[in-house]
Amino acid sequence: MLSGKGFKKVFNVSGGIKAWKSKTAIGPQDLGLDLFSGKESCKDVLKVAYSLEQGLREFYVDMEEKAVKFSVKDLFGKLADIEVKHQMSIYLAYTDISGEDVDKQSFEDMVEKKALEGGLSTNEYLGLFKSDLDSEADVISLAMSIEAQALDLYQRVSGKIDDKDSQKIINQIANEEKAHLASLGKLLDSL
Amino acid sequence: MKWMQFFTPAKSLDYDEAESYIAQHPGDQITILDVRQPSEYRQSHIPGATLIPLPTLDERLSELDPEKPTLVY
Repeated sequence: MLSGKGFKKVFNVSGGIKAWKSKTAIGPQDLGLDLFSGKESCKDVLKVAYSLEQGLREFYVDMEEKAVKFSVKDLFGKLADIEVKHQMSIYLAYTDISGEDVDKQSFEDMVEKKALEGGLSTNEYLGLFKSDLDSEADVISLAMSIEAQALDLYQRVSGKIDDKDSQKIINQIANEEKAHLASLGKLLDSL
Repeated sequence: MKWMQFFTPAKSLDYDEAESYIAQHPGDQITILDVRQPSEYRQSHIPGATLIPLPTLDERLSELDPEKPTLVY
């Protein structure tokens, strides 16, 4: 249908979702989109993204405290550290774009805390994925599920944002999530 | 009658090819199109996929960018 209607390159993903072995996302197409009105400026987009990363970091820190096994605690700690790096790059992008001389704490004070990255709350995630929190493989798999959900959210949001520069920022963050997902996959393969 | 739309074949990508294609292209430069029903999409979908169920695809084609490579499942 698409090829005959002017679409330049159309590929059929053979086997569809059943053949898809990488992480998938769940939920309706508007899941988490209420976090964005679509009218956000670049600065607003960065604030929302920062709050989502903050939610995920707190989730990993919380899991680090709950985990019993040392290696799992360590893994959650590393995952939390990665989110700190994500947050720092978002904060730096904010100061760069806004030109405002704002320190990190003041920026954090401006950020309204939202749902966990990906548009679901911590308990909703844990209920959905039912991971064995004593298993490194399960923990990485859980993190990959969340990152897939975040990637999905950012890509869906990108289509909703009006401002082209804001859209560009969302796409950059989505690409970072994609790279993070790939590195978690490698980590899982290395176990 | 536009016969081309009935006969133009779309190339198929298997899982490895599709996964690699998506990994190599930034999300804003391709379209991943899910043509299943909303209930199926809710259960599981490829991250970043746009949902347009097949029965409504014809009337909603304008929502998609024909210039972008489109992966359909």
